[in-house]
Amino acid sequence: MNVTRRDWMLAAACWTEVLRAQSQASAKFAWFEPATATEIEAIAAQIIPDDDTPGAKAAGVIWFIDRALADYDQDKRQLYRDGLAATQAKRAELYPGSTSIAALQPDQQIALLKAIEKNDFFQQLRTHTVLGFLGHPMHGGNRNQVGWKLIGLDHQMQYQPPFGYYDAEAARGGKK
Amino acid sequence: MSAQFRPTDVVDFIVVGIGAAGGVVAKELSTAGFRVVALEQGPWRHEKDFQHDEVTVMYRAGLTNDPKKQPNTFRKTAADPAKTQQAVEYGCMVGGGSVHFTTNYWRFHPEDFHERSTLGPIPGADLQDWPIAYDDLEPYYTKAEWDLGISGLGGSNPFDGPRTKPYPLPPMPVKSTGVLFERAAKQLGWHPFPAPLAVLSQPYRGGVACVHCGFCESFGCEVGAKSSTLAALIPVAVKTGRCEVRPNSYARKIETRKDGRVTGVIYFDAQKREIFQRAKAVVVCANGAETPRLLLMSKSNRFPQGLANSNGNVGKYLMFDNGAFAFGLFDHPLNEYKSVVVTRVLHDFYRSDPKRGFYGGGGIDGRFDYYPAGFALTGMPSDIPQWGAEWKRTFAQYYTHMGGALGHTSCLAVEQNNIALDNQVKDAWGLPALRVTFKNHPDDMKAMQFILDRQMELLHTAGAKKVWVDPTTNVETTYSRHLMGSCRMGNDPRSSVVNRWNRAHDVPNLFLVDGSSLVTSGRQQPTATIQALAYRTADYLQQAAKRNEI
Repeated sequence: MNVTRRDWMLAAACWTEVLRAQSQASAKFAWFEPATATEIEAIAAQIIPDDDTPGAKAAGVIWFIDRALADYDQDKRQLYRDGLAATQAKRAELYPGSTSIAALQPDQQIALLKAIEKNDFFQQLRTHTVLGFLGHPMHGGNRNQVGWKLIGLDHQMQYQPPFGYYDAEAARGGKK
Repeated sequence: MSAQFRPTDVVDFIVVGIGAAGGVVAKELSTAGFRVVALEQGPWRHEKDFQHDEVTVMYRAGLTNDPKKQPNTFRKTAADPAKTQQAVEYGCMVGGGSVHFTTNYWRFHPEDFHERSTLGPIPGADLQDWPIAYDDLEPYYTKAEWDLGISGLGGSNPFDGPRTKPYPLPPMPVKSTGVLFERAAKQLGWHPFPAPLAVLSQPYRGGVACVHCGFCESFGCEVGAKSSTLAALIPVAVKTGRCEVRPNSYARKIETRKDGRVTGVIYFDAQKREIFQRAKAVVVCANGAETPRLLLMSKSNRFPQGLANSNGNVGKYLMFDNGAFAFGLFDHPLNEYKSVVVTRVLHDFYRSDPKRGFYGGGGIDGRFDYYPAGFALTGMPSDIPQWGAEWKRTFAQYYTHMGGALGHTSCLAVEQNNIALDNQVKDAWGLPALRVTFKNHPDDMKAMQFILDRQMELLHTAGAKKVWVDPTTNVETTYSRHLMGSCRMGNDPRSSVVNRWNRAHDVPNLFLVDGSSLVTSGRQQPTATIQALAYRTADYLQQAAKRNEI
């Protein structure tokens, strides 16, 4: 069988994908049970959806939350335990026969979260999701700076004037 | 070579809290030949420790007092139960608040020092004149500006008092908010001026110029271009070989002897071992919350109500940081995440005008100082959902297109507003927590609203296509980073804690200088005034020590 260059490249590309998938699978959570992480990630992905632009999943928000709960936010663990349990109870009430938050349809997930959006658990998860999306990548989220790129923040250690449209315009003597 | 003293050495001065004021005092006294030990609650951080990390600094109180280790309790009035709730925030590190402050460096105006005489008494408040006038402080404002390195344009604020020297450095380059702010303010007939900032716009005395990285507010400067005491003064003090800075040292009690003079300070070191450092005199610069707390913890047979508190005024007349923030959305990108926070300010509504029907006023600056997560979490207008696809699209589109205006407004001294000890709640050292009682005087709220209306007017005039108000501001203040007035200055020992030289009325070798000394709040932004007072106190201490009058 003749192996063409194109076949080889496809195979290599596949291998890269396989390796990436393996490295993701072998990365272990420091605090979450994998099944819990799937549920939390499903909620985070409704707070900041991955739609036509990257969202909580692409940013790796779940890894940020895992590290927070393993380290400096240990006092929030109980809130997560209790909050997720209450959310599951609400899910079972709203959608009898459903098996998990992650398995709900997106509109069902949104309806479920609207029912809990005022509670402390949701508010804490919202805070964590945003920090994991827009915080410094050193904490495990905002992977490849997808959050910063989305909002137009070009992260550099230093800048030079002009900084924005209006000061540039003023520097040109008011000419557009 | 840093000095190292033994606890049994009777040094000339202990400085408790080496922050905005303590850094000045330590540097001035050590360079004048005195031996100084500076005790600091927080760690000694350096430029390499400061990162663009919103999670650590903003979410985890990375540079400020840690509410988990140092809880405080809050109530609005004595009739309310005090709940554990953070009410005061301060820079907790060598350099203190001068490390993480926004860098606005406003002088108080001459009229700030005698508002009681010009305005008369205010019902429900205890407005008093200062025992000193602007002219007494002017040389020390100038000294602070030149010693630290302040950027600005002297004479550009028509409402400022006279100054003997210009600023040592030119203003920072104007940002887009500054351009829009200035244009709109002039259209309204107001008088915008370049912001005086504690930032090096050019290299100065060995310090490098600002690189416009955009992380001033709440952060430490990674290149040392913020004119903090950490960057500008403390290295000079250490280099004398007469100043020992002891970080992670938590003061518990100022010790006194039978004749009522202080003999030193008992503190916990990093391992929570108790150490007693002796000294000839003590200067407390621990801020407007921790200074009264330390005095109240320093009870003895001679001072059963706490040190320097024979009249019961320690902790009283606490003044907080008032003001509201207004957001403006513009057509084109401003990219306010770059460079310093503020480049234009106006003081047209600073002075109290009896015709308005209330005491006070404010200054306004142009800024948008939200970091990305903080903006998404707390900055969005309330007419859109606060999570989900539409919210995500909105904060993504708005972030670079935001400008805004912040009001800095007056706070009246009210006797019932105070710092006290809460014996029900202990900190990580087993000491009673700070209990804050604070409720705004009605005129504080009127001044805040009046200034907020001006901020909105300004943003509309600047062409903002949408204007909204931060829903967490313009309500009664329950949290403050400006901690003022809790051990105020005065000529009358019955109604004040320190005299016109910042010496405790009750204790000849005890001095207090920080926000606690302030008699009025000005229009917030108190750092320049706190530091001018510190230079003046240090000057007095040198003269008095030479005359053997301490």
